[in-house]
Amino acid sequence: MPEIVLKNVTKMYGKNAAVDHLNLVIPDHSFITLLGPSGCGKTTTLRMIAGLETPTSGEISINGEIVYSSEKGIDIPPEKRNVGFLFQNYALWPHMTVYQNITFGLENLHWAKDKMAAKAEQLMKMLKISEYKDRYPSELSGGQQQRVAIARTLSTGPKTLFMDEPLSNLDAKLRMEMRTELKRLHMETDSTFIYVTHDQLEAMTLSTKICLIKEGKLQQYAAPLTVYNEPANTFVADFIGNPSINLLTVKAGTTSGDTTELECGTLKLKFVAKEKPDKTSQTPEPGKEYILGIRPENIGISANGKIKAKIYSTLPSGMETVVKLKIDDMFLTSVVFGSVDFKVNEEVGVEIKSDKNIVFSKSEGHDLAVGEIE
Amino acid sequence: MGLSVRLRNFFNKPYNVILVVLFILLVLLTFIPMLSIIMDTFTVHSSEVMRIRGTHLGDFTLYHWRKVLFDGENSLSIFYKPLVNTFAISFATCFIAISFGGIMAWLITRTNIKYKTMLSSLFVVPYIMPAWTLALAWLDFFRNALVGGIPGLFTTLTGIVTPNWFAYGFFPISMVQGLHYAPFAYILIGGILKNMDANLEEAAQLLHASRWQIIKKITLPMVKPAILSTFLLAFSSSMSAFAVPAFLGMPVRYQVLTTQMYRTLQGLNPGYGYLMALILIIIGVSIMLINQKVLDNRKSYTTITGKSSNVALYNLRSLRNPLSYGLMAVLLCVTVIPLITFAIESFVVEPGNYALSNFSTVFWTGEGSVDIANGEPGILRNASIFHGLLNSVMLSVICAFFAGTVGILSGYAIVHKKGTWLSSAVSHLTFFPYLLPSMAMGAIYLSFFSTPHGPIPALYGTFTILALIGSVKYLPFASKSGVNAMLQLGGQIEEAAVIMGIGWWKRMLRIIIPIQKTSFLSGYLLPYISCMRELSLFILLISPSTAVLTTMLFQYNEKGWNQYANAINLLIVVVVLLSNFVVNKLTGASIDKGIG
Repeated sequence: MPEIVLKNVTKMYGKNAAVDHLNLVIPDHSFITLLGPSGCGKTTTLRMIAGLETPTSGEISINGEIVYSSEKGIDIPPEKRNVGFLFQNYALWPHMTVYQNITFGLENLHWAKDKMAAKAEQLMKMLKISEYKDRYPSELSGGQQQRVAIARTLSTGPKTLFMDEPLSNLDAKLRMEMRTELKRLHMETDSTFIYVTHDQLEAMTLSTKICLIKEGKLQQYAAPLTVYNEPANTFVADFIGNPSINLLTVKAGTTSGDTTELECGTLKLKFVAKEKPDKTSQTPEPGKEYILGIRPENIGISANGKIKAKIYSTLPSGMETVVKLKIDDMFLTSVVFGSVDFKVNEEVGVEIKSDKNIVFSKSEGHDLAVGEIE
Repeated sequence: MGLSVRLRNFFNKPYNVILVVLFILLVLLTFIPMLSIIMDTFTVHSSEVMRIRGTHLGDFTLYHWRKVLFDGENSLSIFYKPLVNTFAISFATCFIAISFGGIMAWLITRTNIKYKTMLSSLFVVPYIMPAWTLALAWLDFFRNALVGGIPGLFTTLTGIVTPNWFAYGFFPISMVQGLHYAPFAYILIGGILKNMDANLEEAAQLLHASRWQIIKKITLPMVKPAILSTFLLAFSSSMSAFAVPAFLGMPVRYQVLTTQMYRTLQGLNPGYGYLMALILIIIGVSIMLINQKVLDNRKSYTTITGKSSNVALYNLRSLRNPLSYGLMAVLLCVTVIPLITFAIESFVVEPGNYALSNFSTVFWTGEGSVDIANGEPGILRNASIFHGLLNSVMLSVICAFFAGTVGILSGYAIVHKKGTWLSSAVSHLTFFPYLLPSMAMGAIYLSFFSTPHGPIPALYGTFTILALIGSVKYLPFASKSGVNAMLQLGGQIEEAAVIMGIGWWKRMLRIIIPIQKTSFLSGYLLPYISCMRELSLFILLISPSTAVLTTMLFQYNEKGWNQYANAINLLIVVVVLLSNFVVNKLTGASIDKGIG
């Protein structure tokens, strides 16, 4: 049975819709990320589910129970929804020690002193913060504060855990570490996680399903690899992946069977559409313009590549090298495994690998076909 | 490197020059006079020679200390009773200010009460107006005939005779001062409530805390520092307040330390007065020291950035309308009605008779007749009042100019040399006048400048001494805004100009001052307004030729010429409110900015 269901949830700020008729089904025990650029309504969505914000219209149910419904006039306060919330700035109470912060929720539930202490000990041990028990938040580092905030949120054992960009205040190394721990935490606690982030890498690595939002509207709701390989539109394609996907404007030529000729400046490509089980690829109409999406890692550089390009710049980072290529007036980004330092203006051959190239409609941006390029 | 080269290098830097000059000046203007007042508590003064038998002028004596502190009944009435009254009033003032200001702050920032902007502006008016305005209004309104004199408006209108405890002494003094400092509590507490991260309360709510528990365990502890600093500020201010207890306490001989000080310093026992001034200073300084101790760093706010959402406003429901209208009515009562009363009172010829035939413009435009106030002409024709107004404006402008300018320079130099011994010494010295109760500071200057010291002539009775004490007293405000402005600006803006070889004057005038003009202007505005309404700082130091409006108001009131007092008061309030308004319009700097 699905845990959380959003039906047509809308939030208006004046005349602007922060969240626009959002429909979402979040299964039990899943790790869902709400992903999108800042100001896209992802935090508002999270806060509405938690009950910290009241939707303008729509219906939200948690565990089969309707917690908000504009039609039925139901609005259950946040403390009765049995959810945990991890704030971006942690919101630790500065006048309470670590221990007091963690046990505050248990106090409100009138737990016995010894039970409370035991629970706090267990949480602090799990999150490795036992030694900071009597410190105040201002005496802790960012990462330690983060752990205290997690312990505090977990203390009352919520079935659902909401996290609002919890890692954005940590440095890169710590962020990496905490990602691993959050994923383990998800397994250990066996609860549903809903996670807000604008970092596509975080969304890719953590979640079971990504919910990509733009300007209050749902763009795609699917597993990370599906979102990566079969983006629903150019926005999703562009947002996911680093370096960004190459989006080329192409003109369709003659079609025969599954093969279409695509023209891009002097470049002539043959696109062979692949049949997908859940979706039928549409064949491009001759003479119309489309957008072709090619992931950088699918552009290989080799001496015998048919397409000739000039090196514009190379950015080796050890494990991989990002190469910017120039073909006439057009730029392409390629990622090559390993450290390869090309000479600027050197001429190289290019080949497009993989069958995960996407053709999008130019006017509407949505995806039409996935396929191979010969 | 030789010493002379090093010295030249040191003084080549403008900020070093500023710091050294300021250091010397401030030591001269605050520290050394302090020593002088200590000496004065052990000295026989000219008016005391007769009383202290067998002594000569200037002899060393323990008489003052013995009489004030250790003389049984006598000390009780001279010192201990006023001391107890002072403390009682200060505590009551704080209580009223914090509860009224705090509740107001909560209503404005956290509920859906109506007319927020209007209420917020009205609420800070008592703080902009001189403190005694409300005291005079209280007298005009609730005066009774029990202690002699004419009953006020309230008794005239209702026929109810106000009891003494209600009309004079402890109760009205605390009420009036409480209302005066409530805006301060409102601004501090409201500021925290407004900027407080709503997530802190939401986190508690999600952890099953009830609304009352959230207020008790999260919100209140968070505003505790603001409450504490309001408490300390209101406490030390009301402890050193003079005008309000003088107006409301005098009719029933309710004495506090400041009124007692004024009596003794103006009368036959200056030694007593100096001793009391010293004690006031010690109390004032200790309060500030406690302030620094109590503010616990461990629990300070952590600065984690991130968006913090606005807290949901508490719905007052059925209370919304009554509360909004009620509060509006009360605020109009304490802000607008006093002004109307002053206006009315200033037109009434025979006090207490509010028949229309009794109204006249004689106190405004009359030529003066023998049967009214010893032939004093109406205030618009009155040369001495014009003189006072001129003095007031001139004094305020001069003090604001010096305090404001020194404030900018000190802010610049202190921030530049941050972390050095000299910088922190000057920083503390510029703050020091803040700790000195106004009247005690007046006493210090009275003590120090009544005789010549080396090249400094005796300044008592001159305009210079007023300008000097005003500039020093208001320096802390200006210096504080100067330091804040410079800290905010950071060093790189100036360094960019230094690298391009732009000289110091040009850097100051074309870069630093224009960028931070709003904060610098408020460094001028605050001293100006404070000076315009200052009484207790100047009262001991004026002479007839240097009288300012406030001291004239006090003297008229002492003589019982209510109409003149009311008219002058109206004049002061109008000047102050007008200046505030003009500066607000010009620069956008305002006292209640940012709340509501």
